[in-house]
Amino acid sequence: MLRQIRISMLIFLLLLAACGGSDEDDGAANAEGAPFRVAIVMPSSTTDIAWSQSMYDSLTTVQSEMGGEDALKIAFSEGMFRVTDASAAIRDYAAEGYDLVIAHGAQYGNSVFEVASDFTETSFAWGTSSDTGADRGIENVFAYGAVANEGGYVNGVVAAMLSTNDVIGVIGPVAGDAKLYIDGFVRGVTDVKPDAQVNVSYTGSFSDTTLAAEAAHVHIQAGADVLTGSAQQVVGAIGVANENGVAWLGTQSDQISLGPNVVVTNQIYNWANVISDMIAKIETGELGGTAYKLTFENDGLRLEFNENIEIADEVKEAARAAIEDIKSGVVDPVLLEEDDE
Amino acid sequence: MLTGRRRIEDQFVYGIARPTGGHRAVNFRLNAPYVQMYGIVKRFPGVLACDHVDFDVRRGELHALLGENGAGKSTLMRILYGLYQPEEGRILRDGAEVTIHSPTDAIRQGIGMIHQHFMLVDTLTVTENVALGLKSSREPLLDLDRVEAGIRELSEAYGLQIDPRAPVWTLSVGERQRVEIMKALYRGAAMLILDEPTAVLTPQEVEELFVTLGYMKENGYSLVLISHKLQEILSISDRITVLRSGRLVGTVPTKDMTRQELARMMVGRDVMLERDRDDEIDVGEVRLRLEDVKAVDVTGQPALRGVSLSVQAGEILGVAGISGNGQRELAEVIAGLRPMTGGSVEMDGTPITDWSTARRTEAGLAYIPEERMHDGIVRDFAVSENLVLQEHTSDKFSHGIFLAFDYIARYSRQLVQDFYIKTPDIRTMTRNLSGGNIQRLILARELSRRPKVLVAAQPTRGIDIGAIEYIYQQLLEQRDTGMATLLISEDLDELLALCDRIAVIYEGQIMDVLERDKTSAEELGLLMAGVHPERQ
Amino acid sequence: MFDELFTISTLVGILHSCVRLATPYLFASLGETFGQRSGVLNLGVDGIMLMGAFFAFYVVFEGHNLWVGLLAAIAVGILMGLLKAFVSVTMQSLQGISGIGLYLFGLGLSSLLFKTLIGSVEGVSGFRQLAIPFLSDIPGIGHILFNHNALVYLAYLMVPVSWFVINRTTLGLKIRAVGHNPEAADTLGVSVNGVRYTTMMIGGALAAVAGASLSIGLQNVFQENMTNGLGFIAVALVYFGSWRTVGVLGGSLLFSLVNALQLWVQALAIPVPSEIAVMMPYIMTIVVLAFTARQIQKPAALARSYERGE
Ligand SMILES: Nc1ncnc2c1ncn2[C@@H]1O[C@H](COP(=O)(O)OP(=O)(O)O)[C@@H](O)[C@H]1O
Ligand SMILES: [Mg+2]
Repeated sequence: MLRQIRISMLIFLLLLAACGGSDEDDGAANAEGAPFRVAIVMPSSTTDIAWSQSMYDSLTTVQSEMGGEDALKIAFSEGMFRVTDASAAIRDYAAEGYDLVIAHGAQYGNSVFEVASDFTETSFAWGTSSDTGADRGIENVFAYGAVANEGGYVNGVVAAMLSTNDVIGVIGPVAGDAKLYIDGFVRGVTDVKPDAQVNVSYTGSFSDTTLAAEAAHVHIQAGADVLTGSAQQVVGAIGVANENGVAWLGTQSDQISLGPNVVVTNQIYNWANVISDMIAKIETGELGGTAYKLTFENDGLRLEFNENIEIADEVKEAARAAIEDIKSGVVDPVLLEEDDE
Repeated sequence: MLTGRRRIEDQFVYGIARPTGGHRAVNFRLNAPYVQMYGIVKRFPGVLACDHVDFDVRRGELHALLGENGAGKSTLMRILYGLYQPEEGRILRDGAEVTIHSPTDAIRQGIGMIHQHFMLVDTLTVTENVALGLKSSREPLLDLDRVEAGIRELSEAYGLQIDPRAPVWTLSVGERQRVEIMKALYRGAAMLILDEPTAVLTPQEVEELFVTLGYMKENGYSLVLISHKLQEILSISDRITVLRSGRLVGTVPTKDMTRQELARMMVGRDVMLERDRDDEIDVGEVRLRLEDVKAVDVTGQPALRGVSLSVQAGEILGVAGISGNGQRELAEVIAGLRPMTGGSVEMDGTPITDWSTARRTEAGLAYIPEERMHDGIVRDFAVSENLVLQEHTSDKFSHGIFLAFDYIARYSRQLVQDFYIKTPDIRTMTRNLSGGNIQRLILARELSRRPKVLVAAQPTRGIDIGAIEYIYQQLLEQRDTGMATLLISEDLDELLALCDRIAVIYEGQIMDVLERDKTSAEELGLLMAGVHPERQ
Repeated sequence: MFDELFTISTLVGILHSCVRLATPYLFASLGETFGQRSGVLNLGVDGIMLMGAFFAFYVVFEGHNLWVGLLAAIAVGILMGLLKAFVSVTMQSLQGISGIGLYLFGLGLSSLLFKTLIGSVEGVSGFRQLAIPFLSDIPGIGHILFNHNALVYLAYLMVPVSWFVINRTTLGLKIRAVGHNPEAADTLGVSVNGVRYTTMMIGGALAAVAGASLSIGLQNVFQENMTNGLGFIAVALVYFGSWRTVGVLGGSLLFSLVNALQLWVQALAIPVPSEIAVMMPYIMTIVVLAFTARQIQKPAALARSYERGE
């Protein structure tokens, strides 16, 4: 008996260590003049160099604009790839009285609406979506998403101009996901070089870095000299691109640190404006109902060039022209279907 | 002592080690004690397993340790082998006091032990089993060739037939035992303890074992043989030590002893085990008939491959065989506990193949199962409850749905008295009874119903000689009143003592059915191994 | 469309991918084989891999030699193995549960250390492709087998080494005996727990090297949970290979081959739905496991702790 207890305690300690350090929230009550409290539940980590990190980085940007921790308090739950876990976390944050609970994943939809109808005084945000639940009579949910095909298109244009083999490799996560980005990308390539070959392969996972790395090898061996890809798994692929000196075009977050010599451009998701706007609305008592979209037009999407490597002016020029064309509506890379990262 | 110890440690590497003191008889005085134990006391919760026991073994001697089950034989030897620590007492080796904390210590003192349950790794070969735990001459690499050569040499010297390269799982029980002996010899044991080594062997294998033990004795080994088979002990040992209830009854030279005297020492009173050979067998009509019975075992493998047998009224038919050849399935099929895949069973001329167990019981079938703790009783029921277990719904024991407690109590007390069931009370939990008393309880329950047919599977296995004697008497008495008995046993002495005819089962088939008076243990043993003597 | 798959260069490419992909599986499942042969089931392999991946990466990131990084991973792996041994051998806790505990511990601790010590995903320069002179010039085979980084070669070297240790050394004999009949081994003076501690340390070291083969060999980055459950597949591969080193090698190669195949099928735009393609390795694993499920080779004392009875 005693032994069983000791063992249980030991295992418990192991588990504690496992969970410790991923949450940093405190349950302080929301008094007058107290900071605005936002919580975010995300499928991967704040350092995934992709989807989750783009939101976290934007939050910290807003935080420093607003005046630091005293003005905006951020709590987060990472690694919530299981919807049941995420659902519980969303409910916990709502119950603890957070002002805004962000459910940062398309798969969290049902959970958000369920919790939102129980906590009508709390504001929620759901990405990636344009559905605020208004048709179901829910008024406290914001929706947000990125028009990723815009950046995809521009990256496609860049890829077409960089490629000498006219073979380009794309590494996707799960088929159907990242579809907007990849469709836009293919459009961009073919608008410049109609005969170029774009090979798309999916790993079947958002986080299988090993397979993504091997996919990069495969594309390179199949002749690709420009690569792009989406989701947090691409870290492995960028490592391989870097080792082989093959150009990489990034999306979602800044990926230059991983391939200082090969990452040419990054489409960056900048959620700062969206967050600031939501906070402003909440403070006037408007708890939801707006659907946001990141575009080049509203500065939600940005295309950044790697300053450390030399890029031909004509490439930069073509990219800028493509962005302007998108903004002005001359080019419409949109096959618009909703609900995509 | 130190030098002796060092010597054995030196040998604790690959290569054959000889028994300390030299390999040949000339090198030592034959009568010198090798190991002496004085005043050994060992308690287990609620039992005094060894109560100031003295014991000694000489060089070149085979010393038998005799006693009923639970007498403390295994415990005493496990203490010597370092598996248990005694509470009191001293152990001397070659006259010098030693302490033995573990089997490793025991091996260092030249003491080896063959356990009742073999300690072998099935998946490894014979050589690997022998080499396990030894230092290699090429550490950290194995040197199996050298071990194998050593095994061959020892095989030769002591008549231990084994293939060093065979994986242990392919070996028969007898061969496994030889591997165990080999392990001890190879480690330089000068003394070998064998805990009931013959219980698992066929008569032929027993003979081979005894030949080996004879060679070892000649070469100066000290041997301790634990057994409760009197005949065996009388035929092979030099001295006999008898234990009863943890106490030493005495140590006597074998040549001065008879079976009767030994049995008296063991049990504490006169016992009667032989059947009166002159009795008239008064067999009647066939009560139980099996025709081409087929059944599968728990894993779905065929266990009975067409068994045909018949038992007449007033007859005991024995079923001999090495365990696992279909005996269990045979008993269960007759009792109605296992579905048949073919054939038929008749009782008194009526087919009962499709009958439930309850209906068979009602029609006069009684069954003493092999696993008595498991199948024969409900451990957590009172003695009285177990005594009426099968018939509790009959009018005798119940009024409507209520049990007739007064009657059950009176009835139980009577049975407890008639069948000498030793229990504090009829309300005692059955689990607290000894094995022999549980068997008496089952016998009381089954026989008090005056059954027409009795199927008894290993009814005397693991119980003391006093209880065995009583069971024999009961079986014979019931036989005389016309009961037909099917007695399944692995003990040939028992079968030869009790049965009128003996059937031998091998791999689910009846090899032959022999008249008791026209057969011998040797013939039965060969049949049990699947060999027809005349066809050899 | 399919003929593209059967050109020489594609086949060479597929096999080259396969050989490389098998690396982490080989290290991890060979390590697990040691443990299981001695009767200890370690489901915490993934956690140990993450710790190994992190420490190897961190040491290299701090500017040290790659081999120093590898040694750091080995040291951490041994410590993790000791922890597992303490919990399941000494404390005799249920092996399955304590393995999951160890996995969560490794996952949590490697993430925490990554966040506090590094903070963002960074790259390092890891083991480079090391073409073996002459051998790598052999057409086809040369590229498939002899054009990899040092850790890939090391992984394949570990196959005969592990086989040799298990089958030809006294330690190996003890491991096999303890995994099958610890009581018998104990009566011959073999320290059951000692052997199990040893195999846990060996297994831990190999699992950690498996992790390092990702972070400083194949990908040259560290990311939280970057193993993505690879360690659990490694455990399954031990069953798959029915506890034999050659079986583990076969299983790792087969699993990697199917993975390589699906990547190539997609990259060459061969019209197989990608959902099917990505499921292929798992379907295969299940099918083969179903056929190899009954094995007499299975250590009889697997996942059972040992206590000397008196
Ligand atoms: N490990 C044990 N724990 C508790 N009681 C035991 C143990 N071993 C033996 N005993 C008890 O000690 C007594 C002697 O047992 P044992 O030496 O096995 O007898 P034998 O070998 O003569 O049949 C029995 O009453 C038995 O129940
Ligand atoms: Mg005994």
